[in-house]
Amino acid sequence: MRPLRKFRYLTIITAATAAFSVSAQAETLRLLTWGGYAPQDVVEQFEKETGIEVKVTLSNNEDMISKLRATRGAGFDLAQPSQDRIVSAQADFNIYKPMDMSKIKTAQIIPSMLAATEKNTQFEGEVYGVPHVWGTSGLIVNRKAAATVKDYTDLCDDSLSGSVSYRLKRPTLIGFAFALGEDPFAAYGDTEKYQRILDKVEEKLVDCKSNVKAYWSGGDALLNLMRSGEVTAAMAWDAGGWKLNSENPEITFVAPASGALGWIDTFVLPRKTKAEDAAYKWINFVMQPEIAARITESAGNFTASQGSDDFVNDTLKAQFKESFPQADLDNINWYPPVPAGLEEMEGKVLDRVKAAK
Amino acid sequence: MSEQAFVSDASAEEQEDLACSLLSKHFGDFAAVDKVSFSIARGAFFSILGPSGCGKTTLLRMLAGFQEPDSGDILIKGRSVLHTPPNKRPVNMVFQHLALFPTMSVAGNIAYGLKRKGIPKREHEALINDVLDKVQLPGYGNKRIDQLSGGQKQRVAIARCLVLKPAVLLLDEPLGALDLKLREQMKIELKRLQQEFNTTFVYITHDQSEALVMSDQVAVMNKGRFEQVGTPQELYYQPATAFVAGFIGDSNQYVGQVQEQSGETITLVTEHGVRLLSHSSQPMPAGAPITVFIRPEVMQISMVKPETEQDNCLQVTILRTLFDGARSQLQVETAEGAVLTVALPQTADFHALEPGRSVYVSWQANQCLCFPVPAETEAQPEVAQ
Amino acid sequence: MSAGPGGSFSRTQYRLGFWLLLAPVVLWLGLLIILPHIDMVLVSLRERVASRQYEFSFSNYITFFAEPLYWNTFVRTAVMSIVATLLTLMIAFPVSFYIAKVLSGRPKMALFILCLIPFWVSELVRTYGWMILLRETGLISGALQWLGFIDQPVELLYNDAAIMVGLIYTSMLFMVVPLVTTLDSLDNSLIEAGYDLGGSSWHVMRSIVIPHAMPGIMSGCIVVFMLTLGNYLTPTLLGGKDSLWFTEQIYTQFITRFNWEQGAAFGILLLVLSSLIVWAGLKVTKQSFTRVMS
Repeated sequence: MRPLRKFRYLTIITAATAAFSVSAQAETLRLLTWGGYAPQDVVEQFEKETGIEVKVTLSNNEDMISKLRATRGAGFDLAQPSQDRIVSAQADFNIYKPMDMSKIKTAQIIPSMLAATEKNTQFEGEVYGVPHVWGTSGLIVNRKAAATVKDYTDLCDDSLSGSVSYRLKRPTLIGFAFALGEDPFAAYGDTEKYQRILDKVEEKLVDCKSNVKAYWSGGDALLNLMRSGEVTAAMAWDAGGWKLNSENPEITFVAPASGALGWIDTFVLPRKTKAEDAAYKWINFVMQPEIAARITESAGNFTASQGSDDFVNDTLKAQFKESFPQADLDNINWYPPVPAGLEEMEGKVLDRVKAAK
Repeated sequence: MSEQAFVSDASAEEQEDLACSLLSKHFGDFAAVDKVSFSIARGAFFSILGPSGCGKTTLLRMLAGFQEPDSGDILIKGRSVLHTPPNKRPVNMVFQHLALFPTMSVAGNIAYGLKRKGIPKREHEALINDVLDKVQLPGYGNKRIDQLSGGQKQRVAIARCLVLKPAVLLLDEPLGALDLKLREQMKIELKRLQQEFNTTFVYITHDQSEALVMSDQVAVMNKGRFEQVGTPQELYYQPATAFVAGFIGDSNQYVGQVQEQSGETITLVTEHGVRLLSHSSQPMPAGAPITVFIRPEVMQISMVKPETEQDNCLQVTILRTLFDGARSQLQVETAEGAVLTVALPQTADFHALEPGRSVYVSWQANQCLCFPVPAETEAQPEVAQ
Repeated sequence: MSAGPGGSFSRTQYRLGFWLLLAPVVLWLGLLIILPHIDMVLVSLRERVASRQYEFSFSNYITFFAEPLYWNTFVRTAVMSIVATLLTLMIAFPVSFYIAKVLSGRPKMALFILCLIPFWVSELVRTYGWMILLRETGLISGALQWLGFIDQPVELLYNDAAIMVGLIYTSMLFMVVPLVTTLDSLDNSLIEAGYDLGGSSWHVMRSIVIPHAMPGIMSGCIVVFMLTLGNYLTPTLLGGKDSLWFTEQIYTQFITRFNWEQGAAFGILLLVLSSLIVWAGLKVTKQSFTRVMS
């Protein structure tokens, strides 16, 4: 008899603990995001105003998808992938949950960006993404040592042997494709044509390999390489270039002649989010102009918040203006959604570039 | 006195396989080996006997070359080997725990030295079989070491050394790990092997019976020095020092004082107050402190007072019988309270002795030995059983 | 008299105790090792035909053998790992011999702990340490310039030698510990007997010390080989653009390509092929796995 009673107690305690932990979790927002998108002071203010605790996990596009895929959309309450990577991931892995746009204060968001994101993150009639931070990839150049670099392919110039860095990821393939005079986005729907473009890019990248000091993977590692002068020109995000520019005026971000690559990082709900309300609260909170400006300060990129530019400091605005004269701003190539299957083709190219001598 | 044992005239040297002169080794302040000199005749079985910690292992390791002496010289076949590393010395060693190579077969163990000596491979098999025959392990070549018994391992360890025909074979208490019966057999076996191979053996042990049974010459070592070098008989019957007298064989040992000396006979009184007569070759002043040794087997037991005049005759009470077959002994006590151990002859006369009974023990003065106690109060040597 | 019910009761109790004691091991193996591997095998035998649609297929394994890139990466990883293992052994053996047989007491412990110290920081920190030393603007390059051996900065990072240095450094301890243990168990008198019977230092090493230490050598080699083969950070960070390590391939397939099927197939292949290499190593050196691991 006694063991049975003990067992019953144990069950009750376990159930109570589980119930308690669920109710405790409801007061927590587990945020899967990029470095700089949830600065400490913003998190503290949010916690103070709403009483919701925010747990931040830093990540990147591929890592976010992998993490959510492994748990089939559980473990996080809000994630921030780029808008072009949402539909294919949803199609393949079913890891997201549609956004209830009625709960978003859309008046806070720049209408053109909201519309673009709505269009690009639609899957089976539902919208999945809300825009947050936007920016570009282009070139970070040490003007003293590598003044000749105007476009991605200039990284392969003989004079820069051993002092160039870029990532071995899809933005590099896309950027080089544009610089080689192709339009990879137009070929998204045509696998054969896309493969031809990729082959061309592969040849160029293999050729260019001797120029590469290292393929960077973490942003900080690249910034260190640029600071030390070991790398004089790199393909990277604009925010990193502006950060270096503040330290050393010789280094800055340059929009490539064939066009910078524009990206928008969004908010999406993981399919098994446990704090949906808190997620909407967070979105509406960070899209307030003053808060968004603080995120711009910490991330180095502008946000989709209407009117937040007024609160951003002048240095960053000046740097932005210098890197993006109106012509270059118009020339930005915005990433369209990636169709499923393309990334496997790109992966093989990247593997072969890595293996080439 | 140990220096005297070192014979250094040229003609003798040719007959010597091993000689040491004034060999010393210190560890810090401690003198492990202290100016030891000796020489060993060709083909002799020479034992170094001493209690643990007396320096005998250090001495042996210096002979083998594992330790370098601080001073002194080692000559093997008349040539100094001080600067010869162990692998070049014409000596081989049987280690305390034998140190057979467990990763090799019996034949492999024996072949190891042959290979190192550069003996052509085709000769190995014959040499190995020959030496295995001699140690009475024919056909054991392919056995693994862990398949052998203790005694067989012993023989392999000796065979692997003797196959190299060393000038001197060093043995470091190799019988220590064996049980009593096997040890008795191996004593005889070792003596036989030594004679068959006609090799000089240097054998160190703390077991006097091993040393006495096998050796031609025994050196008794104590505190880094040789107390006495001689045949087993000499050591037993004519010990030169109190240490040797106490260490070799069993003795009843008493401390006393000299009362008077007439010629070579001393009258002494033990600490219990027993008056005894003893032989002594050296003059001893009256009142000098003295140690007297009486072996159990020299005393005679009788039920009644012996008729013939005895130098020493004590009436004693039996305390107990210590039965050990042929080595049985009787413990008795004098009226003064001194306890004596007496050998008990296995004859019918003495079967009826029971504790409490009064008997007489008697012996001649020249059957007991006495030595002056040195001026500095030295700790009494531990008496081996 | 108590043979009936009493006996069977105690036997039941004994059985229960046996299973309770075994339970953690069974759970550990079952839940954390066997089940995930079964799942890996199943995943590796799927092929994506369309979104959320998979079919049974060997195509992931065929890709490995058909695409020279993957096959070469594996061979390169295996060869580099074997070389790193042998170099580690060559460096660790004298160190271990010195610790186990030459030193004693306090200096012995001190040197042993010195070998341990690098493992008090994480592998990442250790690897960054090497990067600070080896990079173009790093300490060694700077020191060489200051001493006048070279007149412009030299890049020592991002090549196979840098990978090798990092791997050996990371593996040292795993070789030293089993070696010190087996060498400690070697009776000194065996070494002395080796000399006494006429052997030179080289002979004693070859015929006595090394055969005795063989189980330790093999267990150290197996551990180092497996660790090296499965290392991810060191080759990636120190190898740079040419690192090409097989675990990096697996990582890439899983994390950046979302191709779990291919990644799982690579994982299974790595397990099988590395087991084969270890097995071959044991056969060549005539050691048995049970003896090596005991």
